[in-house]
Amino acid sequence: MRGALVASLAWQDYRNDAWLSACSVLALVAVVAPLLVLFGLKFGLVSSLTERLQNDPATREIIPLGGGRFSAEFVEQLSQRGDVAFALPRTRQIAATADLSSDASVVTVEMIPTSANDPLFDHLPVPQGLDQVVLSQTAAEKLGAKPGDWLQASFGRQVAGRSEAQRTRVQVLHVLPLEAFARDGLFAPLALLEAAEDYRDGRAVPAFGWPGDAVGVSGQRVYPAFRLYARNLGDVEPLRQYFAGQNLLVSTQAQTIAQVQSLSRNLSIVFWIIAGLALAGAFAAIFAGALAAVERKRRELSVLRLLGVSTAALLLFVVLQALYSATFAALLSAGLYGLAQSGLNHLFAQMPGEYASHLLVRHYALALVAVLGVSAVAAACGGWRVARIQACEGIRDV
Amino acid sequence: MLDMSAVHKSRGAGSQRYSLVIPRLQLRGGEQLAVVGPSGCGKSTLLDLLALVLAPDQAGRFDFSPANAPLDIAKLWRGSQQGTLAELRSRHLGYVLQTGGLLGFLDVRGNIELSRKLLGLKDDGSVMRLAGQLDIADQLDKKPADLSVGQRQRVSCARALAHAPRLLLADEPTAALDPLNAERVMQLLVAQAREHGVCCVVATHDEALARASGLQVRRISCRRDADGGVTATLGEAC
Repeated sequence: MRGALVASLAWQDYRNDAWLSACSVLALVAVVAPLLVLFGLKFGLVSSLTERLQNDPATREIIPLGGGRFSAEFVEQLSQRGDVAFALPRTRQIAATADLSSDASVVTVEMIPTSANDPLFDHLPVPQGLDQVVLSQTAAEKLGAKPGDWLQASFGRQVAGRSEAQRTRVQVLHVLPLEAFARDGLFAPLALLEAAEDYRDGRAVPAFGWPGDAVGVSGQRVYPAFRLYARNLGDVEPLRQYFAGQNLLVSTQAQTIAQVQSLSRNLSIVFWIIAGLALAGAFAAIFAGALAAVERKRRELSVLRLLGVSTAALLLFVVLQALYSATFAALLSAGLYGLAQSGLNHLFAQMPGEYASHLLVRHYALALVAVLGVSAVAAACGGWRVARIQACEGIRDV
Repeated sequence: MLDMSAVHKSRGAGSQRYSLVIPRLQLRGGEQLAVVGPSGCGKSTLLDLLALVLAPDQAGRFDFSPANAPLDIAKLWRGSQQGTLAELRSRHLGYVLQTGGLLGFLDVRGNIELSRKLLGLKDDGSVMRLAGQLDIADQLDKKPADLSVGQRQRVSCARALAHAPRLLLADEPTAALDPLNAERVMQLLVAQAREHGVCCVVATHDEALARASGLQVRRISCRRDADGGVTATLGEAC
């Protein structure tokens, strides 16, 4: 009851001093609004850069360099790691090409193994069996192929100076967008790539009925490379270190990621230095404002003291007025930031879903809590002088 | 309701010393008293003591009995029980200050209601009733700055009485008024205090007005002591 009454008295006094109240709100807005714009720019730019990296699977790809000898079990174990989103063995690069022919043309494409959860597919269905493939956009354009079309895939080899080839029909499941893969490529289950490699190595491919040497029963297949994608940007560098520990040279985008992270860190430092100085200034201004308010309202406060209002309630009176200013300043600053944000985002048009300036709800909430907190503490420090106001000053009122 | 004897209060030292001595002061409920004397004689110091905002240096007896059981005010001061004293002030005392002591940010109604609201009392119609009796009913929505000094004093009287205190203290309530308004305000104040059965102590330098208003008068007399200091003593009713 007493708290509500003090809040009501503080509000009526705050309204009565409308011009002074407006000045204290504007003084806070002058600090808070630029900070929101600054942080919005920092967060928007860094988030856009980070999201761009995050959304581009190539940034998370870890490519083994040089020839390796990897078993399917080893690659399977890699795929089970928490920091790995996708891992699949690759056959030899030289054996992983195919000549695709449609009615229109013939195109030699790179064959890339794929399976479920391939980051390049972005939730698109993956080809199944030996007769489904996914084409890159450039290959599809050259072939004039579209999803559902049947193409002829030809695998050539040289035997004792003689050119030989085997053919099979494959259906285009869908076409990958250019951003996902920019070269002429064919994505197929690993089994198709293994069939091509076996054929080129002179081994029989029973699945297609292609004759050749019998495949040894004990011979475990050895893969020279693998496709591997880290789960998150932050997993790339630890994975690079892991492979370095295994004496395996890999190529990563760790440096690019580190640059963005460093930019984020440095901008954060700059922001927090500016924010710290600005908030210290705001604290001093509110502190001084509370001191001045206690002196200015000494007569009213002493009358309230005479009427039995406690020191704590008088302090609450001063603090609440600072909180009223802080609330208005936070709302006005958010409004001004909203205008600045739409202007900045309009001016620096980004890709859809990306922003030059952007804040999340939690940022607004944090800003509100920070402004209210600083205001309350500063006003309480400055307003502590109400404890010195004596009730008898109220009687001396002249 | 109030029983004081051998109460002393001193300020300063040597030739700058000022002492107030209250040999005996007993006030019964509904009693009306004017403390008169020239400026600087100690009327305000006496009012401070009665208002429970100034601690006595010595007190043979300083009992305040708002209810049946007397409260030892000197003991409360010795125990630094500021909270209890503030509660007593809020609940049982009413003040009329020299220029009203109204809160400028509240309208007249808000000012009068304040003493009740601070006690958590609901409006029982006393605000309107007092405003009517003090002839300020048409001023309720105005701010104090929009009132004349006389009107402000009447608002101050209403605020002092709105929460039905046991003791009403008025410090030079008519000093800022012209004689005509002074008489009107004093008569309204005394009449209202009498009607509500409130014990009333008015500090004033205008003895004639106090007597004309039917107040019992007690003078404060001063004498210079050997050390150069001044001792003021509250005299008996005259």
